[in-house]
Amino acid sequence: MGAMEGLMQGIQVAFSWQGILFVLIGVVAGTLIGMMPGLGPISAIAIMIPITYGMDPSTALVMMAGVYYGAVFGGSTSSILLNAPGISGTVATSFDGYPMAQRGEAGKALAIAAISSFVGGTVSVVLLMLFAPALSAVAVSFGPPQYFALMFLGLTAIASLSDGSTIKALITATLGFMVATIGIDGQTGTTRFTFGNPNLLEGIDFLVIALGLFALAEICFLVIKRKDTSLQNQGDIGSLKLSKKDFKEMRGPMGRQSFLGFILGVLPGAGATIASFIGYITEKKISKNPKEFGKGSVKGLSAPETANNAATSGAFVPLLSLGIPGSGTTAVMLGAFLVLGIQPGPLLMADRPEVFWGIIASMYIGNIFLLVLNLPLIPYIAKILKIARPMLISLVAIFSLIGVYAISFSTFDLYLLLIFGVLGYLMRLFSFPAAPFILAFILGGMMEQSLRQSLTSAGGDMMILISDPVSIGLYIVSILSFIVPIIRNRKEKQSDQEEKSDAS
Amino acid sequence: MKRLLMFGSLFFVLILAACGGDSSETSGDSGEGGDGEWTPDQNIEIVAPAGAGGGWDTTARSVGKVLEEEGITEQNVGVVNKEGGGGAVGWSYINSTNDPHNIFVSSPPLIFVPLNGQSDLSHDDFTPLANMIADYAAFAVADDAKWENLNELFEDMKEDPSSVTVVGTSSPGSMDHMQFVKIAKEAGVDIQKIKYVSAQDGGGMTQILNGSADVFSTGVAETVEQVKAGKIRVLGITAEERLEGEVLEDFPTATEQGIDATFVNWRGFFGPGDMTEGQVAYYEEKLKEVSESEAFADIRNNYGWDESYMDSEEYSKFLDEQREELGSLMEELGLNQ
Repeated sequence: MGAMEGLMQGIQVAFSWQGILFVLIGVVAGTLIGMMPGLGPISAIAIMIPITYGMDPSTALVMMAGVYYGAVFGGSTSSILLNAPGISGTVATSFDGYPMAQRGEAGKALAIAAISSFVGGTVSVVLLMLFAPALSAVAVSFGPPQYFALMFLGLTAIASLSDGSTIKALITATLGFMVATIGIDGQTGTTRFTFGNPNLLEGIDFLVIALGLFALAEICFLVIKRKDTSLQNQGDIGSLKLSKKDFKEMRGPMGRQSFLGFILGVLPGAGATIASFIGYITEKKISKNPKEFGKGSVKGLSAPETANNAATSGAFVPLLSLGIPGSGTTAVMLGAFLVLGIQPGPLLMADRPEVFWGIIASMYIGNIFLLVLNLPLIPYIAKILKIARPMLISLVAIFSLIGVYAISFSTFDLYLLLIFGVLGYLMRLFSFPAAPFILAFILGGMMEQSLRQSLTSAGGDMMILISDPVSIGLYIVSILSFIVPIIRNRKEKQSDQEEKSDAS
Repeated sequence: MKRLLMFGSLFFVLILAACGGDSSETSGDSGEGGDGEWTPDQNIEIVAPAGAGGGWDTTARSVGKVLEEEGITEQNVGVVNKEGGGGAVGWSYINSTNDPHNIFVSSPPLIFVPLNGQSDLSHDDFTPLANMIADYAAFAVADDAKWENLNELFEDMKEDPSSVTVVGTSSPGSMDHMQFVKIAKEAGVDIQKIKYVSAQDGGGMTQILNGSADVFSTGVAETVEQVKAGKIRVLGITAEERLEGEVLEDFPTATEQGIDATFVNWRGFFGPGDMTEGQVAYYEEKLKEVSESEAFADIRNNYGWDESYMDSEEYSKFLDEQREELGSLMEELGLNQ
């Protein structure tokens, strides 16, 4: 059967009234769950599995997929408004989204995030439809040495995430690496830095660190600076309207990151988080005024939001066409497929075209729903910021605690959250940036494992790391991204000096 | 403001729902009658010592569902996830609540994790109630690999163990590693020199498909789709006899290739350490009913699990043997702590 015929079947599934209804239910549930700091797509999908039992598989999966990308879509809200990223894919969103909201432009920030997400989501679905079968080869093209090179590239972001002192950024990144080593080591099974505590055996959850370093630290900061009038206009929502200039700024990042994010999403293990970070730094690197980034730049918000949504669609390539889950979330999705009696894999497209194409076709509708639902709601959602400051601060604290408790229902994680909150506050006080910490934590674990997997299979020969064109290409890009800014800075300084000497 | 309240309340409802199974009070063996019979006087809670979606979770949820929906128990059956430490967190939870209404599902990691020194609690600290299902390991290679069967692979490994990289999902000293070691040792491979890497999140399949690793040590069910598509081949499985079902029946066992070793990924239920005979008998009977029900047979078929019911006594003996056998292998590898 041709792909066209399969696609038609898929469109029939997606555009049937059940298809449309359940996509709607899925995306609404996903957005709501994603908006709450602490509840991410994993818990959302796990909650949905028992509900779908006995439903028609394609309808059920269309809904689950909706929950997944809906949660990524909604996840940006708490990052932007409260600096409390609920899922790892939206950490980079807070870098520019939160400053923008603080400036009194929360409405605009949410609108930019929604539009970028929509574009990233839609462009990537087109790519998914055109190339899904062909891309399954790309999905398995990365072995451990290539992943190591990719993570290495991601790490060059540390330098760009430091505003001010690079030394301080490197110090916090080192701390992040150290925390990533806690738990059972994958390659030897040894327990590292657990101090005999079973709660630490699986390492520290991402959410504990993100909510501690970002949300709790922010709360401490707000409490202490409560009399500071410079934060007065934080309660303003500002206009939703984007100017022509804003659209012009967004066009570049949206166009580029839709593709880059999608490709990174296709690679199992890379996913939305790495896509959003790499999206952020590439835009910063090629921007004419990189100094805007981190202070509420339109590009800096648009890039990670486009990339993480594009990556979410990309993640369906290995899941549907190979049966390989690339992340914790897609692993739970895979479980949901199996419960419904559908086995994703190389044969899915031929055996169950209505499922394969139905999911893809429904993602168009889902993305449109998300945009249509979210844009009018923005003024109401942003009203969260109108709540009296003391109340808002306590609410964020409670939400963070609940979110962390919901990971494993263990009070131990709550103490960890407090520790990271205090650490985050101290870091802010002495202006150590938190972003390199979390980036190193996310990349560090994967980087270590891929390095050691490569070395084990090569019998300890370091040359395996630079033995193929993909890795070499990635290292070249990494080195360039280090050198180019240095050269550019020098040139700027020179021209500054020339100007000065001209003036004198 | 209203909207926020709505979010807030929705959130709390979700949390309450998630914690629902947790709220039962410890009441000891109050349901014990004079004649040693016991019936639960409150809801039964099955603990899956792992996150949602994994093997323990699916077993717990499907058994819980059959218990409740087929009316085998009068009480409601809730499933609670206690994630962490490869099971250690859930085990210490059962050990500390010590309530006969709380039981948990487990599998070979209950042997491996204590042997690795990652948990102070072992199966001696719990009461084995009944085993339910058996699953088997498969060793898969890419379709263009040079080996046609396990013997050819092991011949190469005997000559030069470092020429072959084995990949699995879990860390060394746990199931994916040890199931391969057990078969390889029987075939005469120097097991200390086996190169094993662990790759999470579907990395194992990726690595044999792109040639980063040679052999994927995994569960039988995980290989079926890729075998059908002609991308990988299964050199051997660890069951005693060939399995039933399309594709599955084509997988040769290690035994039929002259390697006299098997490995069972068993899954069953355990209660806290001190349980009365009446309590054990109650669960044995109910779990047996589940195992014999048609509803559970359907579930087994869906997931490709084998029926393997063992009552408490048989199960305890089986576990002790398993520990001895696997413990000595791990000692040889220097993993035993």
